[in-house]
Amino acid sequence: MSALSTIVKLPEVRGAVLGDLTGVFLDAVREKDGESIAAVMGFVASALVQAGEQLGLGTLRRAALCGDARAALLVLDKKHVLTLKVEPAKALPGVEKHVETSIPGQG
Amino acid sequence: MDSILQGLLDLSGVNAALVVDGSGHLAAFLGKAVYDRALCEQAGATLLKAVDSLQLQQEDWETVAAQFTDGKLLLRSLGASGGTTRFLVVVADATLNPSFATVALRVAANKLKKAFEGGGVAAASPVASQSGFGTPYPAPAAAPRSGPSESAAVANTGVSWSKMGSSVTLTGITVNDPASATFLSRCTKELARAVGPMSKVYVQEAIRRLSPEATYTMALRAKLVEDLAAQIEDGTDRDQFLRAAEKL
Repeated sequence: MSALSTIVKLPEVRGAVLGDLTGVFLDAVREKDGESIAAVMGFVASALVQAGEQLGLGTLRRAALCGDARAALLVLDKKHVLTLKVEPAKALPGVEKHVETSIPGQG
Repeated sequence: MDSILQGLLDLSGVNAALVVDGSGHLAAFLGKAVYDRALCEQAGATLLKAVDSLQLQQEDWETVAAQFTDGKLLLRSLGASGGTTRFLVVVADATLNPSFATVALRVAANKLKKAFEGGGVAAASPVASQSGFGTPYPAPAAAPRSGPSESAAVANTGVSWSKMGSSVTLTGITVNDPASATFLSRCTKELARAVGPMSKVYVQEAIRRLSPEATYTMALRAKLVEDLAAQIEDGTDRDQFLRAAEKL
């Protein structure tokens, strides 16, 4: 994920956590609670991967999780899970578009 | 309830629409071809785990849009009513128009919330909704709640493919890796375009013919496709299946 540095510089990206599908914490930018986020989002991503396998949808690329005020974007690259915390939530499509165009395999 | 889900199913690219309650049961569902109740219930239970975990980080979640290589999963919270939470799930292929889907999902969610809040639906028990393309199924028992890591172990240790959520009628087929399971799911889906919901049975029988131990590995891929193609009577459908199978 060489484009990571440019993505985390987006003003709407308030923090980023890199983990893997087993929930192991690897790195974080502007995020104090990286270990907890990596664990939870690793599990969420694993469950989505499993549902995708059950439904024959192929490989999970990313998942956009949206709430009232804030959102999160999970980006999967092999076994790595990058969680981007996005605020405000309405900025999510723009961040997703940026990810789509700058990370290989996300388009 | 079915008319609301049918509205979603009418969208181009949508293959199934389901409502999952807080205990992992289907409150309602409609699905095309291989997306039968058993498969949807198992996927629903898996998605409930994702939602339950997600709430640890984001209690106010409204939507989840998961992008896969071959399709999309869209989830929308229906809030809580009658003592249980629910969420709506749409399973779609890559042809789904995301803008239309967002609007349709919002409309459907509003109608479903009203239906649940208004008591139009018995909130305490699973609704006897069924596939719009087959015989009604009885409400099944709770689906197993194994974790994702357990699923990976299942795929690696050769437990029945049917237990990974594909069918109640397809039993005893063993796969040794996730790639084989994914291929079988996709292959069954493609075959269903020609033969309908019986595709699972055809796949099961074909594997048993090719492997006496009823174990599927990717080494059997070509033979399996050839065997299945031979069972499609219509030449055009057969060619279409073979073309699609090449790309799987």
